[in-house]
Amino acid sequence: MKMPRFSRKTLCIPYAVFLVFFVIVPMLVILFYAFTDKNMHISFQNFIRFFSDPTKLSTIVYSLVIALITTVVCLVIAYPVAYILARSKMKKKFVILMLFVLPMWINFVLRVNALRELFNLLSGLEGLEGLGSANYFKTVFGMVYDFLPFMILPLYTTMLKIDKSLYEASADLGANAFTTFMRVTVPLSIPGIMSGVTMVFLPSMTNYVVSDMLGNAKVTIIGKFIYEYFGTDWHMGSMVALVLLIVVFISTWLSGGFKSEENVRGTTI
Amino acid sequence: MKKRLFSAALAALMLLPLLFAFGGCASKSADIVLRVYNWEEYIDEGGSGTFIYDELHELDENGKPVLDGKGGHVHIDSDIVDEDYKEWYEQTTGKKLSEEGPELLDDFCLWYERTYGQSIRVEYSTFGTNEDMYNEIVLGNEYDLLCPSDYMIMKLAAEDRLEKYDESFFDASIPENYYVRNVSPFIAEKFETNAGLEIRKDKADEPILWKDYAAGYMWGTTGFVYNPKYVKEEDLKTLGWTTFTSEKYKNKITAKDNVRDTYFAALGVTYQDRLLALDENAENYVSEITRIFNATDENTIAEVEPTLMSIKKNIYSFETDTGKSDMVNGKIWLNYAWSGDAVYALNLAESGMDEEGNTSNAVELDYYVPEAGTNLWFDGWVMPKGANKQAAQAFVNFLSMPQNAMRNSYYIGYTSVISGEGEEPAMLSYADYLYGEDEDPENYYDLSYFFGTDAGIYAGEEQRTRRQLYAQFPTPDVIAHCAVMDYYDADASVRINELWSRVKAETLDAWAIVVICVTVVVITLFIVFVKFGNKFDFFRRKPKKGYRLVKQESPPRNK
Repeated sequence: MKMPRFSRKTLCIPYAVFLVFFVIVPMLVILFYAFTDKNMHISFQNFIRFFSDPTKLSTIVYSLVIALITTVVCLVIAYPVAYILARSKMKKKFVILMLFVLPMWINFVLRVNALRELFNLLSGLEGLEGLGSANYFKTVFGMVYDFLPFMILPLYTTMLKIDKSLYEASADLGANAFTTFMRVTVPLSIPGIMSGVTMVFLPSMTNYVVSDMLGNAKVTIIGKFIYEYFGTDWHMGSMVALVLLIVVFISTWLSGGFKSEENVRGTTI
Repeated sequence: MKKRLFSAALAALMLLPLLFAFGGCASKSADIVLRVYNWEEYIDEGGSGTFIYDELHELDENGKPVLDGKGGHVHIDSDIVDEDYKEWYEQTTGKKLSEEGPELLDDFCLWYERTYGQSIRVEYSTFGTNEDMYNEIVLGNEYDLLCPSDYMIMKLAAEDRLEKYDESFFDASIPENYYVRNVSPFIAEKFETNAGLEIRKDKADEPILWKDYAAGYMWGTTGFVYNPKYVKEEDLKTLGWTTFTSEKYKNKITAKDNVRDTYFAALGVTYQDRLLALDENAENYVSEITRIFNATDENTIAEVEPTLMSIKKNIYSFETDTGKSDMVNGKIWLNYAWSGDAVYALNLAESGMDEEGNTSNAVELDYYVPEAGTNLWFDGWVMPKGANKQAAQAFVNFLSMPQNAMRNSYYIGYTSVISGEGEEPAMLSYADYLYGEDEDPENYYDLSYFFGTDAGIYAGEEQRTRRQLYAQFPTPDVIAHCAVMDYYDADASVRINELWSRVKAETLDAWAIVVICVTVVVITLFIVFVKFGNKFDFFRRKPKKGYRLVKQESPPRNK
């Protein structure tokens, strides 16, 4: 009787099973639903309906813009934080980093709810009444608040890895602080920026919990669309999901997310 | 060899969770399992909010349940409690009976075991919208009992997804048949006549009746919860449905974040004049308003769309559950709500009052139903195909015992379909207990439509016209102006969904397009710079005096 042969490759089986059942099959199902009608016949009706409807396209553009603003604001806030923390000689800087990351340990819905109540409280103050209906502002604020740690962490770890001697060399060669920053720190932290951007940009296009709770459900992002269509019309819902997938693919490709080397350096969490 | 065995073992270990995921099942032994799928927070879940009034408690000489007068939690005197019950309850739940109100589901298990001699376990799960529930059923999830709303009951019945109730379920002589004996004649009539709507089924010739497929649970109307400090009742009476689009209440009013309710409201806004112009005494009045409130043809949609857009502009938010708290904290003045939620909000706002009647935190909220007519809705229990009918019907019967109907109603704020048996229906005593006042002919509140001939209670002016009593048991006048929602057929459903997505979607103004174009250009430039920047001499400065630029040699590659 032959013993079945086990090798190190056997270890891959669970992952392969996982990938097939939870990644590949669902994708195919979405593809199938997107191009069928309610009688399960092949149809391009959803495709045409989606691209001939200006409101759907506007919603996609809006989601992109909201995600973009969120990402830029996150980057603007996170970069100095990461830079200062990475370069300072403070002994307990770990604590400060922890404080930035700490909110991630608290339930997300709870935090958004708390933020909502905070805004309610603030909009009761004189001069701030407009805050109650500043739905876009509140949505972006909530997203920035939620995704900031995802920007800080990769930036911090990337900057931590920059060899100190590079700064010294730069100074030796006559560069001032600004030149060093622009020509040493920024180029070397690009992998961190990229992975931070990916981690903030993509979820903020679909995180409709924030837009519903802070934007009073008057801000509609593409994730909400998908959710609502899946309540009644799976085929259209799948089409929207597919379009989103393509948008995400393009933006990942543009930001160089598929380059393996940068990913290795940038992947931190 | 060892390594191989190890990796095989590790692989097996990693697959283990998968096995649990598919074969996972609690090992608790029970003869029967009843799978109930209900709305979130739509049953008495025990705890301090429970209204305890089970069969062990007597009514006092006036026919009112004996309570401690504080409203709500009652400390059970251990003398009255059945010792079996107490022991069983404390064993199974680990809670002290006198501290916590029992969960209704636990009580059901005990009752079932006592009545039918078999142990039962309830697998209770909840859904947030009718559509979520429908998807689960279509996907093939199996349940024994569901609690959809009227239009969804009709849709499920039309698609032949439901089991009929047994004929014996309607036999009043069987002692366990609480539903048929206790259900209000008003509800029974609506369920026998489909509330005037027609259910179309492709195959069957005979009409489908709700009664055969559904037993009622809760019912109510929709209307505005308002804060009388800012909103005058007379004003609402003049505006009616158009409150939604009134400039006066800009950013102070909410609509529901679902297409069914908001489309209904938009129809009300659009056709208010037409609705008010109808002759109330005409024979076809109800069918006429039902037709108007259920119109889904293209012309109607084209007329309603601008209304929906202006509603969206005018409201503070589309909400699903934040409306209640926003009302209480004064953020908004008006909240379009289901009557049960209205009662809940009214109670919540009121409870800010302290014992001396100091109203520092308390807010009085009121409820108003538009004169032009509103939505009358029912939630009912249905059994999907393949359900355990015996256990499911037993559950419905258990919920239909007046004391359990009271508990549910008290806990969630909604109105039960149960009235109670006999000359003095138990639910009438309950309403009297909650809202009753001195017998004064002026205070008489007619409830005969719900409880049968000559039924009514004496209540204060506020309760009769705008507070909890009015929300829970609307006046006959309100009932006469109500329309029940029909279900949409496939085409109408597509039209309505597209309408809703157009309403919810973002529309772009000219300035926004400019801003977006600029940002897109900037981003593209940035990306191009990042990707190809090293090919250009963007950042290369001219060398300082005395230095010269040496051509860079490409580093050697390792091959």
